[in-house]
Amino acid sequence: MPGTLILADHVGGRMAGSTAELVGAAKALGRPFGEPCRCLLIGDRDLCARAAELSFEGVDEILTVDVGSSDFDATRWAAVLFRVAAAERPRLVLVPHSANGMAVAPLLAAELGSGLATDVFGIRVEGQELVAVRGAYGNKLEMEVDFPGRELVVLTLRGASFPPAAAGGAATVRAWPLPAEELPRSVRHGGYVEAPASDVDIGKAEFILAVGRGIGDRENLPRFAALAERMGATLGCSRPIVDAGWLPKAHQVGQSGKVAASCKLYLAFGISGAVQHLYGMKHVETIIAVNTDPAAPIFNVATYGATVDLFELADALEREFA
Amino acid sequence: MNEPTRELFWSLDGTQILLFYLGAALAGGVFLAGCWRLFDRYRRARRLPSLPDLRAGLGRALVDVLSQRTVRRRDALAGWAHTAVFAGYLIGAIGTAVITVEYDFLAPLFDIRFWRGDFYLWYSLILDLGHLGLTVGLLVLIGRRLLLRPAKLDYRRRYRGERERGPTARRRWLEDWGFLLFLLAVEITGFLLEGARLLMEQPAWAAWSPVGRAVAALLAAAGMDGQAAASFRVFLWWLHGALALGFTAAIPWYKARHMLLAVGSLAVRDRNALRRLPREPEEAGEAGIGGTGDLTWKDLLDLDACTRCGRCHEACPARTVGAPLSPRDLVLDLGEAVRRQGPIDLAGGTIAAETLWSCICCGACQEICPVGIEHPPLIVRMRRRLVERDELDPLLRTTLDQVANTGNSFGENPRKRGHWTRELEFRVKDLRREPAEYLWFVGDYASFDPRNQQVSRTVARLLRAAGVDFGLLFEEERTAGNDVRRIGEEGLFEELVRTNRDAMAAARLFRRILTTDPHSYNTLRNEYPDWGAMPPVVHYSRLLLELLESGRLRVTKPLGYRVTFHDPCHLGRLNGGYEAPRKVLERIGCELVEMPRNRDNSFCCGAGGGQIWMTPDPKREKPSENRLREAASLGGIDVFVTCCPKDLAMFEDARKTGGHERDFVVRDLAELVAEAVELGLLEPKDLPDLLERIVDAAAQRWVERVERRLGDRLPGLVEAARTEGREAPGTEPVPDAGGEGGEARDGEPASRCAPAETGPAPAPEPPFLPMRWEAPRPLAPAPLPDYEVPEKTGPRILVAGKRVAVLGDEFSLAPDGRDVCPEALDHALNEWDDAALEAALQFVERQGAGEVVAVSVGPEDAEAALRRMLAKGAARAVRIWHPTLERADPALVARALAGVAVKERPDLLLTGVQSADFAHAATPGLVAGMLDWPFVQTVVSLEREGDLLLVERELEGGLRERVELRTPAVLAVQTGSYAPRYATMRMIKQARRKPLVVLDAEGVADGSSAYRLRGMRVPERSRAEMLEGSVEEIAARIAAIIRSRREG
Repeated sequence: MPGTLILADHVGGRMAGSTAELVGAAKALGRPFGEPCRCLLIGDRDLCARAAELSFEGVDEILTVDVGSSDFDATRWAAVLFRVAAAERPRLVLVPHSANGMAVAPLLAAELGSGLATDVFGIRVEGQELVAVRGAYGNKLEMEVDFPGRELVVLTLRGASFPPAAAGGAATVRAWPLPAEELPRSVRHGGYVEAPASDVDIGKAEFILAVGRGIGDRENLPRFAALAERMGATLGCSRPIVDAGWLPKAHQVGQSGKVAASCKLYLAFGISGAVQHLYGMKHVETIIAVNTDPAAPIFNVATYGATVDLFELADALEREFA
Repeated sequence: MNEPTRELFWSLDGTQILLFYLGAALAGGVFLAGCWRLFDRYRRARRLPSLPDLRAGLGRALVDVLSQRTVRRRDALAGWAHTAVFAGYLIGAIGTAVITVEYDFLAPLFDIRFWRGDFYLWYSLILDLGHLGLTVGLLVLIGRRLLLRPAKLDYRRRYRGERERGPTARRRWLEDWGFLLFLLAVEITGFLLEGARLLMEQPAWAAWSPVGRAVAALLAAAGMDGQAAASFRVFLWWLHGALALGFTAAIPWYKARHMLLAVGSLAVRDRNALRRLPREPEEAGEAGIGGTGDLTWKDLLDLDACTRCGRCHEACPARTVGAPLSPRDLVLDLGEAVRRQGPIDLAGGTIAAETLWSCICCGACQEICPVGIEHPPLIVRMRRRLVERDELDPLLRTTLDQVANTGNSFGENPRKRGHWTRELEFRVKDLRREPAEYLWFVGDYASFDPRNQQVSRTVARLLRAAGVDFGLLFEEERTAGNDVRRIGEEGLFEELVRTNRDAMAAARLFRRILTTDPHSYNTLRNEYPDWGAMPPVVHYSRLLLELLESGRLRVTKPLGYRVTFHDPCHLGRLNGGYEAPRKVLERIGCELVEMPRNRDNSFCCGAGGGQIWMTPDPKREKPSENRLREAASLGGIDVFVTCCPKDLAMFEDARKTGGHERDFVVRDLAELVAEAVELGLLEPKDLPDLLERIVDAAAQRWVERVERRLGDRLPGLVEAARTEGREAPGTEPVPDAGGEGGEARDGEPASRCAPAETGPAPAPEPPFLPMRWEAPRPLAPAPLPDYEVPEKTGPRILVAGKRVAVLGDEFSLAPDGRDVCPEALDHALNEWDDAALEAALQFVERQGAGEVVAVSVGPEDAEAALRRMLAKGAARAVRIWHPTLERADPALVARALAGVAVKERPDLLLTGVQSADFAHAATPGLVAGMLDWPFVQTVVSLEREGDLLLVERELEGGLRERVELRTPAVLAVQTGSYAPRYATMRMIKQARRKPLVVLDAEGVADGSSAYRLRGMRVPERSRAEMLEGSVEEIAARIAAIIRSRREG
């Protein structure tokens, strides 16, 4: 039976949001790669009992494997995936490109000699071949890869790149019998440590609202900080703001500050785009720049631009996110 | 008693005279012992690489000392007082010597006596007046300390928030007062003694000792008669004698030693100090100054000679803005440390690292030092040790890495160095292809900083208007390295010198070097000649003056601005270029109003010594802001004129942050000249060239539009078009001028991609084997040739280090559309692997045993990454390569790494989470899968507990999970937790001796690649899509974009 086998990721008993996206990606492929679509849930008995949470639209079957623990062990999860895949023989194994997924997928691919592509943000079928699209050269380029002759392809999918499937499917749940003692173990879980009540971490922020000299005065800063909070953005800034002592260094984006390495969405307010600043953010996928100077270099790297008054726009955005 | 003289040992009997001589001998002994102690330290200290010209130095020193020139600068009161003290003391010492010569040598041996008669009278007068001067000088100095209380004499470290005088400050304060009061006591007892003698003897020639006679009169008025005077005289004689002998004996033992040593320190003063820093001996141990044992005798002499005048403290811009550095305290602290016994840690010890990193290398301290102490070279040499120990600001480390990787401090692609010329109406000569009179060495800021690029273009237009024949080296130019050297990265500096010199040697003929950057000017002019002859170097201020004077630039519109001028440290203080810019300003009709601190006392903008790349303390005023306040206080200034790219950047910033936007504008000298000569942007002779370029640009845009329309349908055709020299989308390309021989206008090859027949042969299509469910083909470690693997001495950690490719903003795809043209790629060690290496090194260092082995899959060029890893502490390196691994996918790389693991049998194999270029994050997992070893991704901490490894891994949202596992294992390390150490260029060079094995990997590419590469393409993206409409509409659009991106 061809189709897709999806690894349902979870951390600390919480189902990951990625599964819906993986289902969405599989559904879009249709037969023979995408359908039928099975989800595989590896965990303890309690977690397996919640398998119905994975019943997204388009999921045909949910396989559960009770391994006695819901904590992650790359070797063990890969072994389960291998057993299930060897029995079900899907054409495609989809894994999220998460901390867990990027550990499991290569182990499985090494075991089978299957096709493997990681951090994929586009999939299509061309003739009989599956074609995956991923980034190259720090995402400045896209590359297309295929896997001719490989009956199985393992892909890890980039988050927020595929439309998530809606909940409310009618999948059947099947417990897959696999005695835990038959499975290898390589690590022992020693507990979780919550992220320290952190200051800003520009390097890890996915959504940044950065302000520059265009905000004019220190007194204007709190309203932008409030706007950032309201929108769920991390507050960043350009060098002059830090130099002036308006914000601590940790907020600075740029050559002398932090590179917005994980950022997917960047709002640049009143930043002209000095080369040092661009260095820290020009790679970001979506950049919205607001600056009254239409010739500001920031517009060369921005996806969207606007030349309106910063403060009026901030007012309007506050209303949008009220 | 007819002939004027006096009895030397009046009323003393033989025993008492003997006692006096014993005392004198004791004092002499103590004095000599003190001198010996100093000299002995100099004798045992490090030698200078070459002796300074002592004859000329001594001449200059004597002039300086006798004229007291250096002491009077910028503190006339203290200077004149000191001159009086100096002259009086000198006269007194000569007087004593005269008596000794007569009484102890000439009289007993030859019966020659001359200390009588007229000679005696003149002697009395001169000595009397000399001592009067000395005393008055002392009283002025004492009064100054009591009444004026100059801040520079206050030893409280206010820059460290010290409110009260601490023990050190108190000791120094006591020593200063001790010195003054000691000498004053000698003088006063001397005058009292003279007065008592005159009162008692009442000689006819008393008028020849006017001060003594006045004292005598005072004593008489106080009721002293001849009898009392006689007994008082005996007491005073002994007191004065003891004080004078004691004072002399103590000279070498405290700050009075400057009386002896200043001549020496001035004689060995290095006239090139700071503008030409000393080189490091090639193969010596650690670089720079770490402890007292690394100082030369000249350093010790300088430190001992300090007079504590505080002039450097006052002049230092870092101290002025409250940075934790006072050159005075630095010298005093160092001096006290070196005079203690035993080796003492100086860099980062006696002198805090933050102090060393506060220096701006402006040279103000050494310039004003009256005894020729050279503070900045000491600081830079201590920095060299800090750099070697990796005790440097992380930003600085990043900048140095960037300079090492890209040759510029902006981390920009080196090919963009000449891009500022693209907006010119004319073509700038490429010195690599055509000769020119001047090589214009542009420098980083003038090349890459947008504001300075404007200036560079203005200078280019001025030069063209004046008919100056100039050319650039374009991307062959690297940072000159002036500031890299002042940071203390000597190895990198040497590398830059070598690269720049090679580029100049390979260039076509030029006669002189021109630069607008005083920093480049300084190092090219003063430091590069240490590596071989250099052509003359000219600063543009000088050339502009010549052009104006010769009439090649004609002022048609005198400006009439009221301007002030900021002397760049590297042009003015270090190289004496004070006049040219001022004369230029005069010629273009500007009224120059000098700031109080000008010329040699210019106040640094704060950019030098690497400060421009460090994090300023937001609580402190920036030197540039301090400077602009000074300019603003002049009142009515139109323009603040600079002639240094870093100045322009600093002051443009400070003008905004300091709130001077309404006070004046900041402009470069060239901009004013351009205005005064009414430099038109267009010259008729440029028209054909310009027209051609406009047409080209239009054609280019048309091609791009067509290309976009056709899109994927005609990729082959499009790629062919691209190879004709097209830019990447997202930039506004200005097409090549299409000049001589089809060469690109800023020196890039006509085709960005080497044609297949001249480039390396295209890699043959590697096999790609199928996989069937019936017969899965597990990946297996690659068979590799045998090599000698040493015995294990502890834990062995393999660290895989990838040389990643960094794609510049401008690139083109290769004709086959499967990769970019290699010319567009720069390379660096993958930062994740760098973190993995750091984790491995720390692990081994904690164990105190074992080794880290660096492994890389790549061609010979990739060895740079391995060398870097070796420099940081890896013991050995293994490189695996075969041409079939060109464009290898993670599976092949993993096979090769696993193959090495089979040979090395390590306890751990560490890699980064992913590579910066392709970001597969798959290689470590594939290796672990092949080896069947435990595997943890995104590791942020790694410790050993007994047989177990305790590992923390990072999950989404910053959550961390602790896991335990056994070795051997594969761990993929996340960045952030392990900040990679800095490898100096010197360490990299020294690492060349570490073993590096190269393995032929012919069998690696066996068809088990994880995927087959079909092609690459540029994602659709160009200049921003401008959102139009009302503010509300735009806000709604932005909100929608945010929501769609946030919620998938």
